[in-house]
Amino acid sequence: MILKAESLTKSFGGLIAVHDISFEIQENELSSIIGPNGAGKTTLFNLLTGGLQCDLGRVIFKGQDITNCYPYEVCQKGVGRSFQVTNIFPRLNTFENIQVAVISAQGKSNKLFSPFTNMAREETNEILESVGLGDQKEVLGSLLAHGDRRRLDIGIALASHPELLLLDEPTAGMSPKESVEITELIQKLAKERGLSLIFIEHDMNIVFNISDKIRVMHQGRIIFEGNPEEVKANNDVQRIYLGEEG
Amino acid sequence: MSTEAIIGSVISGLSTGMVFFLVAAGLSVIFGALDIINLAHGSFYMVGTFFCFQSTLWLGSIPGVYWWTVVLAPIGVALVGGLTERVFLRRIYDVHILYQLILTFAFILIVEELCKLIWGVGYHTISVPWPLTGAVSIGGMLFPVYNLFLIGFGIITFVGLEALFQSTGLGKTIRGVTYNREMAGALGINVPLVYTGVFMLGCWLAGLAGTLMAPMTVVKLGSDLDVLLNCFIVVVIGGLGSLPGAFIGATILGLVTSFGIAIVPGLAIVFGFLLMAIILIIRPYGLMGKRVE
Amino acid sequence: MKDFVKGITGINRVWMAVVFSVFLVLPFILSPSWLSITTEILILSVAACGLNLLIGYCGRVNFGPAGLYGVGAYATGLLLEKTGIPFAVAMICGPVMAGIIALPVGWFCVRRTSHYFALLSLAFGQIIWAAIHSWYSFTGGDDGIAGIRIPDFLFGITSFYYFALVIVSVCLILLWVICNSSFGKTLQAIRENPHRVEFIGINARKYLLIAFIIHGFFLGAAGALYCTFSHAIFPVYASFLKGNDILIPCILGGIYNFIGPVVGVAVYIFLSKIISAYTMYWLLFLGVIIVLVVLFLRGGIVGFISDEFSSIMQRRRIRGDIKG
Repeated sequence: MILKAESLTKSFGGLIAVHDISFEIQENELSSIIGPNGAGKTTLFNLLTGGLQCDLGRVIFKGQDITNCYPYEVCQKGVGRSFQVTNIFPRLNTFENIQVAVISAQGKSNKLFSPFTNMAREETNEILESVGLGDQKEVLGSLLAHGDRRRLDIGIALASHPELLLLDEPTAGMSPKESVEITELIQKLAKERGLSLIFIEHDMNIVFNISDKIRVMHQGRIIFEGNPEEVKANNDVQRIYLGEEG
Repeated sequence: MSTEAIIGSVISGLSTGMVFFLVAAGLSVIFGALDIINLAHGSFYMVGTFFCFQSTLWLGSIPGVYWWTVVLAPIGVALVGGLTERVFLRRIYDVHILYQLILTFAFILIVEELCKLIWGVGYHTISVPWPLTGAVSIGGMLFPVYNLFLIGFGIITFVGLEALFQSTGLGKTIRGVTYNREMAGALGINVPLVYTGVFMLGCWLAGLAGTLMAPMTVVKLGSDLDVLLNCFIVVVIGGLGSLPGAFIGATILGLVTSFGIAIVPGLAIVFGFLLMAIILIIRPYGLMGKRVE
Repeated sequence: MKDFVKGITGINRVWMAVVFSVFLVLPFILSPSWLSITTEILILSVAACGLNLLIGYCGRVNFGPAGLYGVGAYATGLLLEKTGIPFAVAMICGPVMAGIIALPVGWFCVRRTSHYFALLSLAFGQIIWAAIHSWYSFTGGDDGIAGIRIPDFLFGITSFYYFALVIVSVCLILLWVICNSSFGKTLQAIRENPHRVEFIGINARKYLLIAFIIHGFFLGAAGALYCTFSHAIFPVYASFLKGNDILIPCILGGIYNFIGPVVGVAVYIFLSKIISAYTMYWLLFLGVIIVLVVLFLRGGIVGFISDEFSSIMQRRRIRGDIKG
């Protein structure tokens, strides 16, 4: 078991965004979280990675309590994350976007006198290739096409040597072909690097195709958890979510 | 300190505070709606004092000349402000704060030099207008009438502005733009027009402050920076974007400065900035300010 | 250490040699007054480049840089005036003291963003100025202190010029290495996306604080140099207006290039001397220039040139003049 969430709760003013959520993630598990918009999925990710403070509950990663740690601490311990709204470094080029993350993972960010130009070159190139951006190294982040930016976002998350990777709607806004490419990419990376993965998705094809386990969220709670067959067969899930998707 | 001295300091502090309020209110409102810290705000104050002086020259000896300038000068300043916003500020709304600061700082330079060009480097004075000259006796102590007038005027302006913002359609529009510019635009509000209007309102307030303050001090170059720094302190204490905050902050600063000068003259300048730093450290949004991210 | 050497050799050696040679022979070409102006330009370059570490690389504005500059000047000046400390020690104390003061100032400032960072740094700058201004018994208050002792070998414009040239070169090289290090690149990432950077394991506040202290150190170095240049210390060295002397050249030259502030300082000082000779409204011209730069030339002079250069290269590449 690599991650355990215990009774996580978070409210904003009067609105309870995440209500008493508990679950366990096993090593090398590829799991997804689905649910209608506003179900609290991204909030949950924020609670797990230190982006938000929990009102109640604990997050335990590899036996360590990481509840309410700062995001940089959580990252250093081995949890990586990509974002729903693309979150890259606009004025750095594609290579530097990844490089900066790799340098941080290698613990070399604080070197005042070591030139950055050739630092972590090999690893950066390797990650660039594996997310399919090898031919766009010099392009500024802000000038990338949308699909490429999502790849970059994932690449940056990968670069911090995570053992657990959280992907927030990795295929959002992509064409069907691109979505398939990205999904295959994610699967391949997870296998190659032995990652455990949790991703939030709205594209049901992807969810049912590659998830080992699916958790369904609604109004801040996990209402069902199971493998794809079990989820498809469940009436509540059908009614609340799948029915709406058609 | 004797009771008389204390009350004297209070009155003096409050009346200065009211003038701070008028200027700071403009700065605060502009920041609230436009997200710009207008460094040149002190300059608009100074232009107000000069317009006031110039109007008294032009209007000569017609009766109640000063009161005419109270009407005209702030309007003049507002027009200058509107022009500035329309031509320059409009282009830098979404740009890095550094450029906003530097651009408005450049305005300080330009305004100061233009004032130097037009009115020279000398001092000018304006006499306290009838019927507010002299002092009045209350409870056996003498208070300058003009100071009392300023206090009253400040309170009325505050009440009026609050009424404007809370109760009128125009006020609601401005508040809508302050809270969420995009939504307001999507709802059909002409956001650029509101921006220009709010900026002109802020400049009008600064010009009004300048005009009202003119009889109490001298009209001179350099008054822009003095006012500006005090203005910053007020809006930091009260919170950027909040009108009641500006009122409270101005009152506090007026009193602190007044007592500071009376008790420890040498360190008066440090007090203001210490206060500003302390507030920024422990409670950056001031007493009631708008959150900025 | 090995990395440091690697860093230095990254600098284009040909350019360095050319530029340095030019500066070496300037005393033989320029009149003493112009040489003096050049010295001022060199000193202010250190301040501007130091400040740009924060503005250009970190994306935060220190709106009261003259405070730390003044600390450097006064630390060195007071030590020289009031104690018998060797000159070199007094010189190094300036920047060190500025770095020490930058620690608490920076600690508070990095906890705030954007507008509030700028205002708080302004407040601190003014507090330092007010302290210098009011503390008559220690700092000489409003009168300042003139006639500070400097070693004999520094008397004379030419000798001081070479002294300043050496110190400034060392400072700028150090800054260059820092800006081009992984630390510098990480600062840029913090500037680009302070939110995301936390999720790649960077404690942004810690890095910003270190950057703040370093920038304070170099501001103080410039102050110490200026103190020995002018043989005096005055409260105006720490004033809001002096701060703008450091800030404006950064914008003029361009905050996104290392060499931008240096070019900006040169242009700024030249313009101020030349225009002031013809009119007493130099500030009006400065104001107008700043407005034009902010509206139309946001990358500054160097930014503009470098953009033009890359689009020319791009066009030539597309046309096939250059391969790849």
